[in-house]
Amino acid sequence: MTEKEQLDTLEEWLKLHKGLIFKVVRAYTVTDHDDLFQEIIIQVWRSIPGFRQEASVTTWLYRIALNTAIKWTKKEKKYAGAETLDNIQHLLQESRTPIDERLTWLYGEIYKLDEIDRSVALLLLEGFSYKEMSAMLGISESNVGVKINRIKKQLIAKSKNYDTHGI
Amino acid sequence: MEFDEMKKIWDAQNNQPLYVIDEKALHNRIQSKMNRALHFASINEWLLIMVNLGAGGFLLYLNRFKPNIFMYVESAWMFATVVYLVVSRIRRINASRLFDRSIHGDLDHAISLVSYQLRLSQMVRLNLFPMGAIMIFSGWEGGKLFEVSLVILVSFALAFYVGRRGDRVNKRRKRELQVLKEKLETGN
Repeated sequence: MTEKEQLDTLEEWLKLHKGLIFKVVRAYTVTDHDDLFQEIIIQVWRSIPGFRQEASVTTWLYRIALNTAIKWTKKEKKYAGAETLDNIQHLLQESRTPIDERLTWLYGEIYKLDEIDRSVALLLLEGFSYKEMSAMLGISESNVGVKINRIKKQLIAKSKNYDTHGI
Repeated sequence: MEFDEMKKIWDAQNNQPLYVIDEKALHNRIQSKMNRALHFASINEWLLIMVNLGAGGFLLYLNRFKPNIFMYVESAWMFATVVYLVVSRIRRINASRLFDRSIHGDLDHAISLVSYQLRLSQMVRLNLFPMGAIMIFSGWEGGKLFEVSLVILVSFALAFYVGRRGDRVNKRRKRELQVLKEKLETGN
């Protein structure tokens, strides 16, 4: 694959699926949106020659984005505070279109989960099957099932507080 | 709230973008990358010019005491390298005036600077082969083949290794800039 073809593919994928990457970014970081976004884009770019069309582009992108986000989160914890001046100025700004408060709450709750559960929650909300989630995350389908049950219960329970108190 | 409702809330976000790209911040970041690339390119050029000029002159000076044809060839080669470097530098500076000061212009300039550094570094590494060969012949002529050849080969291998590492860093920087360009073109 030539560099030009690789860039064309990246451009097309970003045009069609950048919303997917935004979701992962928002679920995995509160402050460093653009840093994680850039890291995911670089990993997606690197992964393009390895894409064999056996999976859909969405599945492939989720796999890359989630793995990058998980690794990035671990690295960020390790090197907290090592941000360079170059990275401080944020490239991404929250859209000015009003966002549903319940969505903000949902992202907040997802963010409170551990790294793997966050991935499961995102994929669950995106409508992926157990089998797809298992393949993407490298955990067994039964383990996915257990996690989904727990996450659903947790979210529903917390939503009751939200419904009652608005928190 | 039931899970199905959460799913509906989640799906609704697909109709509105969560983020927009801040063009001013992007421009600042590109300019900072471009200035860094400009700084490194300039330092690289001056360093190579000085090293080649100094080494070529030193060889010429040494040759006064014990003339050796290969040493003359070596110093001539180094001076030719200096000429090449000076011409490249002038061409690079002239070419930099062709880029406009927009985000795209600065980004293209930064990419072209990193590509230039990669070319320069490759040229310097390839240059090590003829220079090493001439040095070995020169040592042969002086009757110290083994020791001289060994020292020369080890030094050149080291220089080659360091150059390759530098290339990897530059390739990564170029890739990051290209990704940034894609982000800019598709992010609006």
